Amino acid sequence: MSLEEVSHRHDDSATLTEANRIPAGTPILELKGLQKNYGYVQALKPATMTFLAGEIHAIVGENGAGKSTLIKLLTGVITRTAGEILWCGHPVALATPNEAIARGINAVHQEVVLCPHLTVAANLFLGDEVNQYGLMRKREMEKMAQAVLDDLGFGLPAGVPLADLTIGQQQLVATARAAMRGTQFLIFDEPTAYLTRQESAQLFKLIRRLQGEGVTIVYISHRMEEVFELADRVSVLRDGTHVGTRTIGETNEAELIALMINRSIEQIYHKEEIPIGDTILDVRGLSGPGFEDISLSVKAGQIVGLYGLIGAGRSEFALGLFGREKTTSGEIHWMGKKVDIKDERAAMELGIALAPESRRDQGLCLNLPIGLNINLPVFKRLSKGPVISHSEETQNADQQIRDLAIKTPSRRVLVSAMSGGNQQKVVIGKWLSYGARLFIFDEPTVGVDVGTKAEIYRLFAKLLKQGAGIILISSYLPEVYELADRLHVFRRGQLVASHDFHAATHEEVLSEAIGV
Amino acid sequence: MTATPTEIAAPPPRRKVNILFGLTLIGLLAFLWIVLGFVTASFWTPLNISNLLRQGAMTAILALGQTFVIITAGIDLSVGAIVGFTSVILAWLLQAGVPVWASILITLLIGVGIGVFHGFGIVKMGLPPFIITLATLTSLRGIGLLITNGSTINIVNEPFTNFARADFLGVPSLFWMVILVAVPSYVFLHLSRWGRYLFAVGSNREAARLSGVRVNGIIYLAYILSATFAAFVGVLLASRIAIGNATQADGWELQAIASSVIGGTSLFGAVGSVQGPLIGAFILATINNGANLLNVNSFWQRIITGLLIIVIVYFDQLRRRRNP
Repeated sequence: MSLEEVSHRHDDSATLTEANRIPAGTPILELKGLQKNYGYVQALKPATMTFLAGEIHAIVGENGAGKSTLIKLLTGVITRTAGEILWCGHPVALATPNEAIARGINAVHQEVVLCPHLTVAANLFLGDEVNQYGLMRKREMEKMAQAVLDDLGFGLPAGVPLADLTIGQQQLVATARAAMRGTQFLIFDEPTAYLTRQESAQLFKLIRRLQGEGVTIVYISHRMEEVFELADRVSVLRDGTHVGTRTIGETNEAELIALMINRSIEQIYHKEEIPIGDTILDVRGLSGPGFEDISLSVKAGQIVGLYGLIGAGRSEFALGLFGREKTTSGEIHWMGKKVDIKDERAAMELGIALAPESRRDQGLCLNLPIGLNINLPVFKRLSKGPVISHSEETQNADQQIRDLAIKTPSRRVLVSAMSGGNQQKVVIGKWLSYGARLFIFDEPTVGVDVGTKAEIYRLFAKLLKQGAGIILISSYLPEVYELADRLHVFRRGQLVASHDFHAATHEEVLSEAIGV
Repeated sequence: MTATPTEIAAPPPRRKVNILFGLTLIGLLAFLWIVLGFVTASFWTPLNISNLLRQGAMTAILALGQTFVIITAGIDLSVGAIVGFTSVILAWLLQAGVPVWASILITLLIGVGIGVFHGFGIVKMGLPPFIITLATLTSLRGIGLLITNGSTINIVNEPFTNFARADFLGVPSLFWMVILVAVPSYVFLHLSRWGRYLFAVGSNREAARLSGVRVNGIIYLAYILSATFAAFVGVLLASRIAIGNATQADGWELQAIASSVIGGTSLFGAVGSVQGPLIGAFILATINNGANLLNVNSFWQRIITGLLIIVIVYFDQLRRRRNP
């Protein structure tokens, strides 16, 4: 059974057939002065945009530009303050998520919102189970699910729990799920943020296939190259304003970036000539859970890049080095002395800081204030005896907020109320005042817009100038390629290649990481 | 990507909200006292007020210890059983001729030991807090009954049993005990770094660990405090009723949890204060006291308490949703 056959289960729905009748290239969804205010803040200033049936329409903009607000308006999560939405030429309310789904508008989010403990099949059919006599037809659903997955060429088993899949595979399942619901209008919110290259390629294939079936795609991304690879048209948002829509053939990266940030970025990848100093860290043959026989060293003033696909063992190596996971063999030399890092605190005492991969699971206490998060590693220093000095606590938090330009009215705001980019700055900011000699940044720019990225890179240079060394872990090749003085490639838990700055081409590094 | 400029119009600072919520609770308490003053003749008599303060004092101390645990996203179901058990231990020690100060010290140390055991079960054995403390709840009652062979041990030490009945500066000594516990608790939870760590562990254990917080130590600490506070309440109870009996303080763990939750503590962890559970405990005590004065059937008291928990926590949830 193919995806189309399964999705046609819903074709009897009147609203969906209406959307099906819209010929390709004519407006399917029109926004007329659509506006959203939160109190006095205009999250989306009156926007007039048109989405054509069957097109891939990219939306770009910095964090806080209003992209999320727009998605939430279109998927019925929030209600508009003013303006009109025309669906197939008729004004619609889109007041609830159910209304949006019933009309065929769906969204796939960056962080997969499915049930990790249920099987892939159960997730695909969640809320839409195949029933007979009030009982679920579990085996039939599994068969249909498997047929759909095979048809899409995912090579995924339908019977395994979703949690056993990689984030990328889960994303594909989420997309297939939306497609199965007979979606006519599908919004992708930064879907590739956590995906490997192959996974992204698979996702793009699926997106093109959906487009071929007449589905309208809205694609939100920070990655310019994806926009140019995929989209027919692109709209730019800046500070809640729709600043323009371009046909992809008539624009270029420079113009889009200029529209997005209203200033030209000479160089996103900020790299300065910084004298290389003494060796800070020397790792010899380190093995542990998920990585094997890793040898590398970091010198003062040096960025050491670790590139590889997700699951290649880079984050595991970082956790082993930081004492979070037990290492089984190998030696760590710190400033020339052999050391034993038995736990996180031992690593911190040496002067190692780790900004971990997942800000939600490892990096932040989301329902606590920004200030507490920033100060968490340094409370001991901020205390006089048992009691925390209020002035020092305030001062340290406010200084990081200022230095990193974290957008918040107060250090007392909860981290959960902030945008992804600002959250990432908190993850980094909490270590800046710690006074580490070695910083490990694991995927520091995931889900972060161009402007914030540039700020983070400038921050790296500042740390290097203070005599620190940096281990930069990234799945985004341009980033490590342009920044790392020494680039190590990981594959399946092993260090398979090492290059000096720009000593290998993108293609070489990539094929080393993939192993072809 | 969850960026919306809403965060610029950000929620009002949390502390202000907490103070407001605290004021609402105090307002509720004051309201209850004023109403009871009008509808009963005996509410505002010195005797009744002392009684009320005594009644509320023990729940308040239990609720305070419980709050530390709940902030770490845990729960301590054993506190009622610890109160009963430690009252037996204390009575037993006094009966055996151990001096009062030593008896109290040993009893408190047993509280510490129970807390350590809870910490061990959670940290080392990986048991859910609900399970390990449920297990001690039933076991401690059993051990207490074994020691006393199912009966009670009388306490014949006059100075000790007089303590709970005594007043100091016109205020019942038991209420002074609340202050004695609450002031260091406030310093610990709101002014010291360990308090911050408690919140961090309750919010995201992994993030706390990767920030250098001794997560296991903090969990031990929370359960030790809760159990020790409960043992302290066991001492106070023994003084008040002059017996040691393992079946005493039945259901007090739920009173303690209810007081904490009424006082704004979130069962999901990382939200709570010292003043909240104290006020919560005295609200519950006032309801019981008022119901007695009004001759309301004691069965109704339980029902009213249940409804009150629902209403207060519901409004608290509404408030949180509005100010995330």
